[in-house]
Amino acid sequence: MRLRPAALVQLVAIAAVAAFVATYPLYKSDYEATKLTLVGIYLIAILGLNLLTGYSGQITLGHGAFMGIGAYTTAILVTKTSISDYATIPLAGIAAGLIGFLFGFPALRLHGVYLALATFGGAVAFVSIVQSTHYQGLTGGATGLFFGPLKNPYYLTWGICAFLYLVAWLLVHSKAGRAFKAVRDAPIAAVSSGVNIALVKTLAFGIASAYAGVAGALLAIRLGSVSPLSFTVTLSILLLTGAALGGLGSLTGMIFGALFIQFVPGFAEDHVSKTAPQVGYGLILLAVLFLMPGGAAQLLHRLGTLLYRTTRPLYTRAARRAEAVATSTRSRT
Amino acid sequence: MAQFWQQIVGGLAAGGIYSTLALALVLIHRATGIVNFAQGEMGMFSTFIAWSLIENHGMEYWLGFALVLLISFAGGAGIYGAVIRPLQRGGELAIVIATIALLILLNGLAGWIWTPEVKAFESPFPHSLITIGDVVISWQDVGTIIVSFACVLVVFLFFRLTRTGRPMRASALRPRTSRLMGIRVTLMLAVGWGLAAALSAVAGMMAAPVLALEPNFMLPVLVYAFAAAVLGGIDGPVGAVIGSYILGVGISLLSTYVNYITVAPELQLPVALAILLVILLFRPSGLFGRTVVRRV
Amino acid sequence: MRKGMGTLAVLAAALAFGLPAALGGAAATTPGVTAHSILLGGTFPLTGAASSYAPIPRGMQAFFSYINARKGPDGKRGVGGRQIIWKYYDDAYNPTQTVQQTQRLVEQDKVFALVGGLGTEPQQAVRDYLNQKKVPQLYVSTGATFFGSDHKKYPWTIGWQPDYQSEAAIYGRYIRDHMPNAKVAVLYQNDDYGKDYNAGFVGGLGSANSDRVVATRTFNVTDPAVTTQLVALRASGADTLMIFATPAKTIQTYATIARLGWKPGHIFVNSVSAAQVFINTAVQLSGASTVNGSISTYYTKDPANPSWDNDPGMKLYRQIMKKYYPSGNDKDANYFYGMAKGWTIVQALYKAGKNLTRESLMNAVNHLNDSTNPFLLPKVVVKTNAPKDNFPISQQELIQFENGGWTPISGLIDTRPRG
Repeated sequence: MRLRPAALVQLVAIAAVAAFVATYPLYKSDYEATKLTLVGIYLIAILGLNLLTGYSGQITLGHGAFMGIGAYTTAILVTKTSISDYATIPLAGIAAGLIGFLFGFPALRLHGVYLALATFGGAVAFVSIVQSTHYQGLTGGATGLFFGPLKNPYYLTWGICAFLYLVAWLLVHSKAGRAFKAVRDAPIAAVSSGVNIALVKTLAFGIASAYAGVAGALLAIRLGSVSPLSFTVTLSILLLTGAALGGLGSLTGMIFGALFIQFVPGFAEDHVSKTAPQVGYGLILLAVLFLMPGGAAQLLHRLGTLLYRTTRPLYTRAARRAEAVATSTRSRT
Repeated sequence: MAQFWQQIVGGLAAGGIYSTLALALVLIHRATGIVNFAQGEMGMFSTFIAWSLIENHGMEYWLGFALVLLISFAGGAGIYGAVIRPLQRGGELAIVIATIALLILLNGLAGWIWTPEVKAFESPFPHSLITIGDVVISWQDVGTIIVSFACVLVVFLFFRLTRTGRPMRASALRPRTSRLMGIRVTLMLAVGWGLAAALSAVAGMMAAPVLALEPNFMLPVLVYAFAAAVLGGIDGPVGAVIGSYILGVGISLLSTYVNYITVAPELQLPVALAILLVILLFRPSGLFGRTVVRRV
Repeated sequence: MRKGMGTLAVLAAALAFGLPAALGGAAATTPGVTAHSILLGGTFPLTGAASSYAPIPRGMQAFFSYINARKGPDGKRGVGGRQIIWKYYDDAYNPTQTVQQTQRLVEQDKVFALVGGLGTEPQQAVRDYLNQKKVPQLYVSTGATFFGSDHKKYPWTIGWQPDYQSEAAIYGRYIRDHMPNAKVAVLYQNDDYGKDYNAGFVGGLGSANSDRVVATRTFNVTDPAVTTQLVALRASGADTLMIFATPAKTIQTYATIARLGWKPGHIFVNSVSAAQVFINTAVQLSGASTVNGSISTYYTKDPANPSWDNDPGMKLYRQIMKKYYPSGNDKDANYFYGMAKGWTIVQALYKAGKNLTRESLMNAVNHLNDSTNPFLLPKVVVKTNAPKDNFPISQQELIQFENGGWTPISGLIDTRPRG
């Protein structure tokens, strides 16, 4: 199986990232490493978002709320039971995944923008519920919950991330992944081919939310606390726009997306406008939408094609020579 | 019992504020099939311009009001032409991100130009009150409600009667056919966005005297306006406005009489949204929307 | 020859290790302090919903610039010849960001101390970390009571302004003593800010009088309006209204009660929202008759209140703003607050002495007794006496709004000693 140049570029990129990530804390300070831990957390979250929005075409503005569900699950379990914080991670993923799956059912009735609106409303509602006085015995209300010291779960985060990345890759390249894409691109054809659209869509919601839940749990462990202020609609917007900048529909694009989420707001503040960083961020978003609508993934793809085109003469020359040798050998016998 | 009627009055006043913004959202959705997340911020930005003209530079209110409507119209049409139209090829997601980018941009820009400090923007209506028994109605609220109905009327007539309104409906429903028939689709849609921007400006100028003017003041209104528009059926101007009043009054009464919320009024919004979700499950096109045959 | 080489090697090694330490001196062990500079850091919401507080660090910067340029009482510029370098970062009022930026200040920038950090929840998120690392978390910009009351448990953390509970307790005691038949309605914001105020008010009123409160309603700061709450409070028949809300919501409250035609006999409004610049907006929107008679407290002078125009402290403030931050609106009380806090920080730095370490700074802070602050009300003393008294500013005056301005209706009320 010959490897297409685009795929080659992707593999090289992933290998480079893996090497970089694995060695980073060895030569960088702990503070610098925390920045990359956050990148890993965001990457886990938007890998899920990618499956939901990029592959099954359901636009969501509520992903931050599912991170919040995961984070609060961790915080509540640690404060109310004797479960250790790390052990709560899978539980947070399951909790968020279940709720996402259940949310997927009413989501079936809502299409396109209606879904975006519903998830937007859900994200707003999440903050209200979590900080309400009604539930503050459980959630800590507006104050939040404090359960541990600041930590930097660097290798744990990236280990989980690598694992979940692999899962996502397998999913996308499996029959299920093709079903996702079919639901997104040609729903009628998908149904005619026997795809159970309802199941696919709700499963996508569940899986994506589980990813977000795991990311949220890791964030809670990092901070040693949860607060409603950390999971506002702004987070959902940041996740969606960052993923879009990276290139929804591409797994490697999500790596860029996570980097964007962590670094672009600060970049906007330092290099575009110190007094109006939001303006800078908005302009960057628009610029990318205009120039590279497929995000960084599109850039990668173009690089790959460029690589292929510039090196093609080498292939063809070598191939012709090989052929010539083969023909001359054959003609001699 | 008096509280009951007073809460209804309050709910109607709230509905009046949401309805004009909901109308703008519906207009854009009907004209271009897009949900504009930046609609509230456009209204906020226009209100700041109005503040600058009227409060800061002393222009007479209604002159400033009219000028702001014109500026907003131009701004809305411009945003459509410069940002939205080129990106429509990119599909639904690209447009959602674009309107979010505009939201972020306008919010930041307003905070930068006018600072986040809360400002006074006054209502053009008299401060006096009408008292009926124990219930008090302010002329400012009455004025807001009258303006909201005037806006619906304008939009309704615009679509039904004018030479630009009908082609606009055609442009939205069948762009290619419309083009073949000589309708300048882009122009129609730009007019739609301009009109919506003007409506948002009205919404902002009606809301600011009671909500106080600062860069974030329209964001919660946007959430309720969305809910109202979806409730009433996102393609019908009349439905959206009726939806707004139902939502406004509904929330007021819920928070007064449903103990769950009375004890924790911060739960108004989630409860309202939950009810909305339930309604959508049974009537996905909203209370007054026409059921569109959806492909799967 | 070889023997000499050995000794030479040892000597070289000793020099190699010893000389840098000798040259570095004490500065090498205290982060952020050199012979010529002191590096201070802080996190503030420069963007986002709370960005109206962004002028605070800018006011502090203006003041530090002034200190750096002028000659102090010892004839040297800065503090004892050391220039103050002020580094502040945006956390957008998001605790996730606060943690990142605080770690950045401590571990990357290596600041000497954190000062003035804003926000109850944001500062709480980093309190454990800073105390564990023994980094001073001084004079946080929030009146949340627990920053003072937890000082024993978190000795590196301390507040500055009069805390919300003691302020609200003053209102409670006032009603208890002067308005025994009042029927009180309370509107408070559903977060630590509002809850602190409510708790203090109820405490000041006293359990014997708890039935004075006939209705209480809460709201989220992210709600669009507070109409339903105020309609309910009005229907309770209350004649006194307590407003415990941040400025925008306070202004909304006044505008709404004007539309309801409800004028409670007494309105108590929290001091943060009572700054002249906000009350003026409230008057414009709701009419003077609605706002007149409102009661609050203050502890600083107010740059938007013309009665302070000829005050030397106010003149100094305006001079500093004009020279170092001319584009700022000097009527904004947040710049003023920043400057008042800057004064206290500088006093603490002086008191910490020439041999400046984090311990010496904390010691100075814990025993500060400064009555020279030109930005606070006359006779207000910034005094801390840990572990008994952990609230640096505990004095405030009751004020009433009449004819466009706040006038004092009491002398300084001291809520010391506070544990």
